[in-house]
Amino acid sequence: MTALLIAVGVLCAINTGLALLLMLAAATLGRVGPCRITINGEKEMTVAGGRSLLATLKDERIFIPSACGGRGSCGLCKVTVLEGAGPLLPTETPWLTPEEQKANIRLACQVKVRRDLQIRIPDELFQVKQYRARVADLTDLTHDIKQVTLDLEDPPEIHFKAGQYIQLEVPPYALTDEPVYRAYSVASGPADTRRIELEIRYVPNGICTTYVHKHLRVGDTVTLNGPYGEFGLTDSDAEMLCIAGGSGMAPIKSILTEMARTGNPRRCRYFFGARARRDLFLLEFMRELEKTLPDFRFIPALSNPDPADHWEGEVGRVTEVVARHVRDASQAEAFLCGSPLMIDACIQVLREKGMPESKIFYDKF
Amino acid sequence: MKQSRQDDIIQDRMRPGVITRDGLLGHDRRPLRDILEADDAEVRRLGLTHAAIAARMRALRDAGAEGLGEPVTVLDHFEVRVDSVRGLLPCPFPHEGLCRKEFVDVRNLRSGGQVVYTELNIHLIEAHGFYEGLGAPFRQEPAILARVLEI
Repeated sequence: MTALLIAVGVLCAINTGLALLLMLAAATLGRVGPCRITINGEKEMTVAGGRSLLATLKDERIFIPSACGGRGSCGLCKVTVLEGAGPLLPTETPWLTPEEQKANIRLACQVKVRRDLQIRIPDELFQVKQYRARVADLTDLTHDIKQVTLDLEDPPEIHFKAGQYIQLEVPPYALTDEPVYRAYSVASGPADTRRIELEIRYVPNGICTTYVHKHLRVGDTVTLNGPYGEFGLTDSDAEMLCIAGGSGMAPIKSILTEMARTGNPRRCRYFFGARARRDLFLLEFMRELEKTLPDFRFIPALSNPDPADHWEGEVGRVTEVVARHVRDASQAEAFLCGSPLMIDACIQVLREKGMPESKIFYDKF
Repeated sequence: MKQSRQDDIIQDRMRPGVITRDGLLGHDRRPLRDILEADDAEVRRLGLTHAAIAARMRALRDAGAEGLGEPVTVLDHFEVRVDSVRGLLPCPFPHEGLCRKEFVDVRNLRSGGQVVYTELNIHLIEAHGFYEGLGAPFRQEPAILARVLEI
């Protein structure tokens, strides 16, 4: 009996010792001390290690574009890591071409800061700032698209190019227990530096769209960062074919607003796809632009108009309407914004009409 | 079959926050190998194959994609809407390739049944016989797929 008790006692002691050892290891080996990040060979910062490069840079007010909130599902947060990133992770390889891998390009959301890092990022990202803004207005543009007007407070002005986007922060609420960011194109013109408009379509169970449509109120404070993106007006005289659907209206509206302000004489045809009359919006705004811009036509197309709509405009999918209107696109430029499906379908039609792919512009998400 | 170390790694990638916010396992506590075997048995009980189920899902997706986000009537009695959002998702199983973030909403107008699945679902069923864990947001029940999609 005594031997049994001694054996149990020894076993307990060994287990307790092992548990303590594990706790000690977790508390010491897992901890990462301060790390130095050198950016573009010039800027140096000392940061607390242990988090992703994306989150760490954000804390230092350096914002790398990311549409998925750092989950590794958008592939946007590419940065060049010259030193200290460790081996490529399986979560990164699907997003990186062999050339990118060879050039030390990594996903900032997947790289953990565990040692000193040398990274390279485009200079324009230093211009990206975080803003605090107040919701000045919320307007239902359609049954599922809301226009969100934000007055910038700190800093009070943003400078962006028509067509660029910002990232809106969603604070923790019922659908998320941590802040997440989602990308939205700015719908207002860049001349209005103190106020921006966004057009946000409701996606059932979408973290950000549910927050905006069901929880956001006029007067609320929100956080955003930006601007990002290369989509925008080109320096050219070529005819413009703008094609959008749903909330894809936003960047095109921004571009057209800027064209109207500057008296841009380019010929422009804007094809906008919707299902029925209730999905159309900003019609009056577009008709006004037709009067203001020298050579602009807005061509809304309904794929399935309700008989009660008494619709006399174009009928069919937007790609079909483009195909009917455009005979030769070889000398034109196209500006697309919509779902990836719509963009793919538009690219196909434009190629068939002779447009080189280098003349087709859209945000490559 | 016993759960392997590789299965453990794959199952870890299915947890919330790794590939998707809610993960692919729901409240299912079973080892991945057990989930796969249970669904495989169910598919065989239905007299089907994973390939046949995935082929039907893909055919309806392809037809619905023509609508560019608007509902399309397919084969007279299916209303199919395919929506896509920005981004791509990797598969939790170890291989290259990414799936678009697409949601396929199929309503069987004859029976009133409805299923919503993703491009990742189609791939997971076709390549891995994985229908996601019980309670996962996009868990696909083989019997419901068979009934609503008339496979």
